[in-house]
Amino acid sequence: MSHFTRRHLLAQSAFGLGGLALLDLLRQDGALAAPPKPELERRDYDLKPRLPARAPQARALISMFMQGGPSHLDLFDPKPELANHHLQETKLRFQQDNTEQASQKLYASPWKFLPRGECGMALSELLPHLGQVADDICLIRGMHTGTNGHETGISAMNTGRILRGRPALGAWFTYGLGSENRNLPAFVVLTDPTGIPVLGVENWQNGWLPSLFQGTVIRPREPRILNLDPPAHLRGAPQGRTLAYLQRLNQAHSARHPGEHDLAARMQSYELAARMQLAAAEALDISGESAETHRLYGLDHDDSRDYGTRCLIARRLVERGVRFVQIHTGNQTWDHHGGIQRTLPKVCRKIDQPGAALVMDLKRRGLLDTTLVHWGGEMGRLPVVQNEADIGRDHNGQGFSMWLAGGGVKGGLVHGETDEIGYKAVQDTVNHYDYHATLLYLFGLEPQQLTITRPNGFGSLLDGQPGQVVAKILERPPSPA
Amino acid sequence: MSPGTPFRYPALALLAGLLFAFAGPVPGRSATGQRDAPASPPSGRRPGATALAAPSGRELLFERDVRPILKAHCWQCHGEEDTIQGGLDTRLARLLVKGGRSGAAVVPGNPNDSRLYRRVAAGEMPPGPKKLSARELRTLAEWIGAGARTARPEPAAPSAADSFTDEERAHWSFQPITTPAVPRVKRQDRVRAPIDAFLLARLEAKGQGFGPEADRETLIRRLYFDLTGLPPSPEAVNRFTADVSPDAYEKLVDDLLASPEYGERWARHWLDVAGYADSDGYSEQDSLRPWAYQYRDYVIRAFNADRPWNEFLVEQLAGDELVPAPNRDLTPEQADRLIATGFLRMGPDGTGASDADAPTARNQVIAETIKITSTAILGLSVGCAQCHNHRYDPITQVDYYRVRALFAPAYDWKKWRTPAQRLVSLWSDAERDRAAAADRELQALSKQRQAELDAIVQSTFEREVAKLPNDAQQIARTVRSTPPAQRTPAQKQFLAQHPFVGVDGASVARFRPDKLAEFTKRWDDLIAAAGKARPADRFAMCLTEAPGPLPPTHLFARGDFQQPRQEVAPGELSVLNRAGAEIPSDDPSLPTSGRRLAYARHLTNGRHPLVARVLVNRFWLHHFGQGLVSTPGDFGTQGERPSHPELLDWLASDFMAGGWKLKRLHRLLVCSTAYRQTSRRRSALDALDPENRLLGRMPVRRLEAETIRDSLLAASGRLTRKLYGPPVPVSPDEGGQVIIAVDTRDGSGRPTGKFVPLGDEEFRRSIYIQMRRTMPLGVLEPFDLPPLSPNCERRASSTAPSQALLMLNNPFVLQQASLFADRVRRQAGADLATQCRLAWRLALGHTPSLREVEDGVAFLRDEQAANTPNAEAKPAEVALPALTRFCHALVASNAFLYVE
Repeated sequence: MSHFTRRHLLAQSAFGLGGLALLDLLRQDGALAAPPKPELERRDYDLKPRLPARAPQARALISMFMQGGPSHLDLFDPKPELANHHLQETKLRFQQDNTEQASQKLYASPWKFLPRGECGMALSELLPHLGQVADDICLIRGMHTGTNGHETGISAMNTGRILRGRPALGAWFTYGLGSENRNLPAFVVLTDPTGIPVLGVENWQNGWLPSLFQGTVIRPREPRILNLDPPAHLRGAPQGRTLAYLQRLNQAHSARHPGEHDLAARMQSYELAARMQLAAAEALDISGESAETHRLYGLDHDDSRDYGTRCLIARRLVERGVRFVQIHTGNQTWDHHGGIQRTLPKVCRKIDQPGAALVMDLKRRGLLDTTLVHWGGEMGRLPVVQNEADIGRDHNGQGFSMWLAGGGVKGGLVHGETDEIGYKAVQDTVNHYDYHATLLYLFGLEPQQLTITRPNGFGSLLDGQPGQVVAKILERPPSPA
Repeated sequence: MSPGTPFRYPALALLAGLLFAFAGPVPGRSATGQRDAPASPPSGRRPGATALAAPSGRELLFERDVRPILKAHCWQCHGEEDTIQGGLDTRLARLLVKGGRSGAAVVPGNPNDSRLYRRVAAGEMPPGPKKLSARELRTLAEWIGAGARTARPEPAAPSAADSFTDEERAHWSFQPITTPAVPRVKRQDRVRAPIDAFLLARLEAKGQGFGPEADRETLIRRLYFDLTGLPPSPEAVNRFTADVSPDAYEKLVDDLLASPEYGERWARHWLDVAGYADSDGYSEQDSLRPWAYQYRDYVIRAFNADRPWNEFLVEQLAGDELVPAPNRDLTPEQADRLIATGFLRMGPDGTGASDADAPTARNQVIAETIKITSTAILGLSVGCAQCHNHRYDPITQVDYYRVRALFAPAYDWKKWRTPAQRLVSLWSDAERDRAAAADRELQALSKQRQAELDAIVQSTFEREVAKLPNDAQQIARTVRSTPPAQRTPAQKQFLAQHPFVGVDGASVARFRPDKLAEFTKRWDDLIAAAGKARPADRFAMCLTEAPGPLPPTHLFARGDFQQPRQEVAPGELSVLNRAGAEIPSDDPSLPTSGRRLAYARHLTNGRHPLVARVLVNRFWLHHFGQGLVSTPGDFGTQGERPSHPELLDWLASDFMAGGWKLKRLHRLLVCSTAYRQTSRRRSALDALDPENRLLGRMPVRRLEAETIRDSLLAASGRLTRKLYGPPVPVSPDEGGQVIIAVDTRDGSGRPTGKFVPLGDEEFRRSIYIQMRRTMPLGVLEPFDLPPLSPNCERRASSTAPSQALLMLNNPFVLQQASLFADRVRRQAGADLATQCRLAWRLALGHTPSLREVEDGVAFLRDEQAANTPNAEAKPAEVALPALTRFCHALVASNAFLYVE
C-alpha cells in the first residue's frame, strides 16, 4: 500500500472518507478478502473505486493533449537526411490536406537537436525543460494512426476509432475503475483559455456509456467551477439539511421509477456536487503551493503561467485520487500549416516547462510510479514545405511522436522509428489500438472486462481491434503465456 | 486467456468467445505470443448500418455484397481521383479482374491468388488504420471463391458516377412513401388511433402490450410540457381531474394547442434545427444579429396559426421569390415571406467580421446553409459530398454542387453581400417618405443648431475681448485668426493668459454655462421631437437574389474553391429524383431565377420520399422521447433504420393527406393510447426491449434547459407572459458567468459598474433570451444547451455535477426559490400543511400524499427550529427562510426536472 499512501492520506485528511469508501479502498488494496461477486451486467452505475482484474501499475492518468498535430520533426524526431536534402524535390507522394499549398520540397528542421539526460535521447532545442526529464520519459517515435484529419485523428487517439460518437478514454477508465476520491469528479478536463479543441465537447463525452462517466470541465479562468459557492447563509448545515430532504424526495421518486438509471445518476451528481463545494475549491487553490513549486511550473512567466497552473492543478487532482485528468491546448494550437518558424517556439514556451515540471513534481512526491503521464496530439506533420510564402508543414498521421512517463513505463527510452525523412512509422510502430491496449494493461484491466451492453452486442474500448500491448516500453511487461 | 488470469465475467467471456468464433480469425498482425489475442466482440460500426450483408448461404453478388465494402475502403484512391493509384480501378468487378499495373487484382475462384484479397487480408491495404472487418474479408473471399459474380452485366464505364446500383437506390428512405394498411391486433379495445394498432401489433408479436393508462395528474403534466413547455397550474389540474365528461382529455388538448404558449414551445424545436441565433458566430467577434428575432417571431406565429408545412417550407426556402421585386411597400404577408427566408441566413456568417479571410468565410456560409437545409429537411448529411463522393450514401460530389447551385444566385461568393448588406427594410412607402422627411428635418435642425452655436461662440469672444485694452484686443483677434500650428511662442503665451481667445463650440460652456445649458436643452428637445416623427427601423434578415447575370456553379475539386472544375446545373440529389423533376436554371416567368422556388415546390409536392418522413419523425421524437428513426438528421445508410417503417409511412402520408397540418398530427399522437400509458417499467418488457423502441410504456424524460428555467419562473409566479419582440440581452457578469443583463462593459471589455434595469423583461420565457453563439446563458448551458455549429438535430440529455451545482447555488435559482416561497406564503397562509400542498402542486403538478405532506411539514418545523437563534425570535422571521429551503428542494428534485 506504500506506493499510494500519500494519495489516500490526503484524500482522507482533507475531506474525510465515508466508511463505505474506505471499505472499497481496503478491498482494493487486498486488505480485505473476497472481491465483490462478478455481475453479468451492472445495473446501477457509480464511481466507487473498482478492482481491476490484475494488480494495476498505474492508478491515474494525466493526458496533456496537444490538439492540432505537433511537428515531431521539429520537436522529437531528428532527421539528418532532411538536412542533407533541404529544399530538394522528392518523388514521394504524400497525402496532403491542403493540396493548393502542398509542395514536394523536403524541409529540414530549423532547430537543433541535442542529446539529453544520461540516456542521450535527442530532443529539440525548443524543449529545453523536457530535456531535464529525458531519463524519466519514454519517447515513442513510431506512432501511426494512418488518418490525416483532425477529427478522425482525435477520435482515434482519444476514443479508439476514427468514428465519432464513441466514449472518450477518460469515460472508459472511470467506468472501469471508478474514482478514489468521492469528493471530486473522477474524470476532469482542463480546457485552454483561448477555446476548446476541435470536436469540442466530444473530447470528453461519455458516448454510449452512462452519463455519469462524462468528463467534468473545469473552466480555464476563475471561477474555475461555476456556482461552486453557496451564499454565506446557506453554507454548511442549512444546505446539508436541504440536501438531505432533497435526497429523500429523490429516493421516493426513484422508488416509483425503478430501473431509471438517469434518476440515480442525478442523485449521485447532487451528492458529488455538494462534496465538491469544499473539495474542489481546496483542490483548485494553488496559493498554498510553495514559491519554488510556482517557479518550477513556470507560473512566473507570462508564456507558461496559464498552462503551468493547469498542470499544477492536474497534479493536485491526481494527488487527491482523481482518476483521469486531460489538459487541453486551444483550438488547433499545434496546426502549423504556415509560419512554423514564428509560431512553434511560442507554443513550446507555453507548454515545455509546465509539462516537464509535472513529471519532476510527481516524481519527487512519489506519485510518478502510479501516475501515467501522456503528452501528444492526434498526428504529426509532413517533412515537406507547405506554403512557401510562409513555410509550414501539413498533416501527417503516418508517423509521429508522443511521450509517456511513469505508471509502469520505462524512462529514458526511445521506442520506434519513422523512415529516414520522418514520414512513415517503420520500426516498432505503435497505433492507437496498441496505445490503448497498453493503457488497459497498465491499469490492470482486461480488454474484455471493460465492456457495456449495446443494442447490437457489446461495446468496448478496443472493440475487437488488434491492439497489442507495447511490451518493450514497460517496466513489467506481461509474462509470456 | 492465460491460465490463472482472473476473469470476472465468465458469462461474457463465453458469449464473446462465441462471437469471436463466428467472426472468424482476425487477420493482420499475429498475436505476439504473450497471451492470446483478446476475444472480439462485434465490431463497433454503427448499429443499423446494414449495408454490409452478412455472409450466408445465398450467392454473393458484387453490387449487393462487395461494392459497398470497396466503396467505403478503396474507391477514393483506386477509382475516383484524377490519378488512379497503381492503375487499379476498384469500381467494377470487371476492372478488378483486369487489374492494374501489378496485374489482376481478382482471380475468380481463387481468393488466395487474388492480389486484392491478399493485400487487404495482410492488413497492407487500405493504408490507414481502418482495415476491413473480419466479416468484410470473409465476404470478399467467398465472393471471389464463388467466381466473383455480378448481378447483371456491368456498365461500360465506371465514370458514369451518377448511375448508382439498384442496391443503393433500394435504401429504404429513398423509396416512395406508401400508405400501409392498419394492422389488426388482438387488443382492439386499446386502439384509439391507427398509430396504436401499428405499435400494438409489434408488441403483441413479442407477447407484450401497452401498459396501463397514466393517472390524470401525470397526463396533464405530460401534455402541458409537451405542448406548451410549461407546467400546469393547480387550477388547471383541478379542472382536468374534476372533468368527468368523456372528452375531457381531448378538450384539454385543444385548449393547449390553441394557447400562444404552444407556438413558443414548438418554435423552439424548429429553431434548433434551423440553427437560430442572435449573433453571427464564426469568429471571436460574434457580432449581434439585431433582426434575427423577426424570423423567430415568424416561426412562433406560423406554429400558432397552424400554417401548413408545405407552405411553411416553401416560404422558408424561397419566400423572396414569391414577393414581387423590388421589395417595397410590402403587405404583412409579403413581409412574412421575406422574413421566412431567415431560415437560410441562420448559419454562422463571419463575412461581416474584419478578421475573416473573405473567400473562405463566404464559402463556409454556403456550406453551413447546405448543411442546415439538408439535415433539417432531407435528413441527409449531404455535406460529406462537398469534397468527394459520399462514402456511404449514394450522393455524388456533383450532387452536392447541384444543391449548391440552387443557392448560387443568392449566395454568389464572388459578388458577396455581408450580413448588413443583406438586410431588407420592411418600411412601407409611406414610412419611407416619413423617414425621409424626418431626416431632412433633422438635418435642417442640426444646421440651425450649429449656426446658433457659432453665433454664441462669436458673441462670447466679442464680449470677452471688449474687456481688454484696445491694443490687446488687436492681438487677441490676430491670435484667434492664426491657425494653432502657426502661432508664435508669444501668441501661445497670450492665449494661455486669455483662454477665451480660443473659445469654440466645445469650450464655450465654460464661459457662459447658463446660456449653453438653455441652448443644449432646447435643441435636444427639438431634435428628439423631430426624431419621433421618424418611424422606428424595421429590417428583415433575409436571403434574396441580387439582380444581374446568374453566376455559374463549379464543382470544386476536394471541396477547394481554388480548384474549380466543371460547371454544374441546379438540381435535386440524383438518387431522390426518380421522376426526373427539372429545376430551371432561370425561370422566365419570375424576376428571380426561380431555382429555390422550384426546389421547394418539388420537396413539398407530396411525392418526395424524405421530406414528410423526416418531418413526422421529428414531431414524433418530441412527443415520445425518441424518433421512429432515432437519428433524426440522418436517414441515410449510416443512420438508424426505423423501428416501425410502416407506421412512419402511414404517418407521413396521413400528414400530407391532412394538408400538412401539424396541430392535427399532434392530436393524433397525444390522443393515442400509446401516449397515455404510464412510464412504469415492466421487467418482462425491459428484458425484451431495453431501449423502449416498441413503446410498451412512455419514457421518463428530463426537461430541456429552457423548460427548466421557464418552469422555475412559472412556479414562482413571476413568468412574464409577453409574446415576440427583440431579444432580452445577455452579458457576462464580473465572475465570467453569462447572465441576463444589458452589457455595460466598456470598449475594452472592462466592467463599468453601470446597471440598466430590465424590469419584467428579465423574467420572459427562454425563447426570447438572446442566443449569442459565444455567450450561452449560464442557467441554460449546463443542461445541454446545444452549441450551434451550425444547428442542432437533437438535444442531448446528460447528467453532470455542473447541473447539480447550478440547481444548488446559482443566484437565479435561489432567487426564484425565494420568490416561490413568497408566493406560497401569500396564497396558502401560515398553515404548514397547506403551504406544503400548494408548493408541491405548483412545482410538481400533483397532490402530495399524506406521508409526503407529513414529511414536508416535519422538514419545515425542523428548519424553523434550526433557524431560530433564540427562544424569543418571532415565528415570521424563521418561517420564510424555512419555506424557501423547502421550495428550493422541490425545484431541485427529480420530480421537477423530469416528466413521466
